Amino acid sequence: MDQQKPGYLRPALIAGAVAGLLSGLPFIGIGNCICCLWIVGGAAMAAKLLAAQTPGLLTTGDGAIVGALTGIVAAVVDTIVKIPMQHFNMDLARGIIDKLPDVSTEMPAGLDEILNSSGMLTPGWMLLGLFVSAAIYAIVGVLGGIIGVSLFGKKAIPPASSPPSPAAPPPAAPGPPDAG
Amino acid sequence: MTVARDPRSARRIWLLTLFGTAVWLAAIVLAPWLAGRGASGAARFFYAVFAPVCHQIPDRCFVLNGHPLAVCGRCLGIYVGFAVGLGLYPFVRGFSRISLPPARLFLLLTLPMALDGTAGILGFWRSPIGLRFATGFAWGTILPFYFVTGVADFFRTRRERAAARALESPASKKVE
Repeated sequence: MDQQKPGYLRPALIAGAVAGLLSGLPFIGIGNCICCLWIVGGAAMAAKLLAAQTPGLLTTGDGAIVGALTGIVAAVVDTIVKIPMQHFNMDLARGIIDKLPDVSTEMPAGLDEILNSSGMLTPGWMLLGLFVSAAIYAIVGVLGGIIGVSLFGKKAIPPASSPPSPAAPPPAAPGPPDAG
Repeated sequence: MTVARDPRSARRIWLLTLFGTAVWLAAIVLAPWLAGRGASGAARFFYAVFAPVCHQIPDRCFVLNGHPLAVCGRCLGIYVGFAVGLGLYPFVRGFSRISLPPARLFLLLTLPMALDGTAGILGFWRSPIGLRFATGFAWGTILPFYFVTGVADFFRTRRERAAARALESPASKKVE
């Protein structure tokens, strides 16, 4: 196995920024409702980029690392993108609610709760959201990275040399272990 | 390809993942349970924890004590499927080798959920919550076979790289 550490940061930054941007945008972000599509997809993309820039074979462990980093970057970008979006959405909701008494005498149930939930925009809640997102996206990213290595990683080349002697230690993991 | 690995380390990772999954599932149920008992502040915290990963639309969630669970039916299916897959892991894969599921099986189990989800978002149909749960469940069952294997391989790779670095260090060269 190649004992050199592959460069995880660049693929994680690129794929994480894309995944975070897609997650944070309104409407497009709904994609995350399908099994965290953007995060899993972003981490898989990071694994593909890592495989392209690494001359040696990647292990599933490499996929796990680059996936986790991608998830953390995506969480940060997602939170930053959502800050102006949340204010925009809340202003829109307030505008609609303010106009409701003109067209209806009764306020629909639950609207008060929506207004009260604007407390979620406080820095404390946002920080909590960032930590939770980072933890969850990192775990989901680990999955995406491993899946990415299994799908896009270079396959191991069978050894051309003679078989190891019985006393020799077992061979180190070559590239992505595939179908079992 | 199958590679030998440290079974004890893999078992430890499997146990930790099992514990984490149990906590995760408990938190999903805890949110409506707390809301039902009037602890709205604590319930709000648990709902907020799951907000980044699920839309939490109430009519797409299973209900407990008159309150929706913290995640939708599909997400619940994924997590329950993950727990079931994790339970099956020692019997299907064992702890003594690194081996990922075939890519074709992964795509096969992903397809129903991808089709159902995409068609739902595009407005072609509105699937019942049971179907959402089932498609999520199918996908979730295969995930631990990637997760546990990959994380175990990560620790093994790290150990090997540390050992290789130690061998290459000037101190070890001096000994030679």
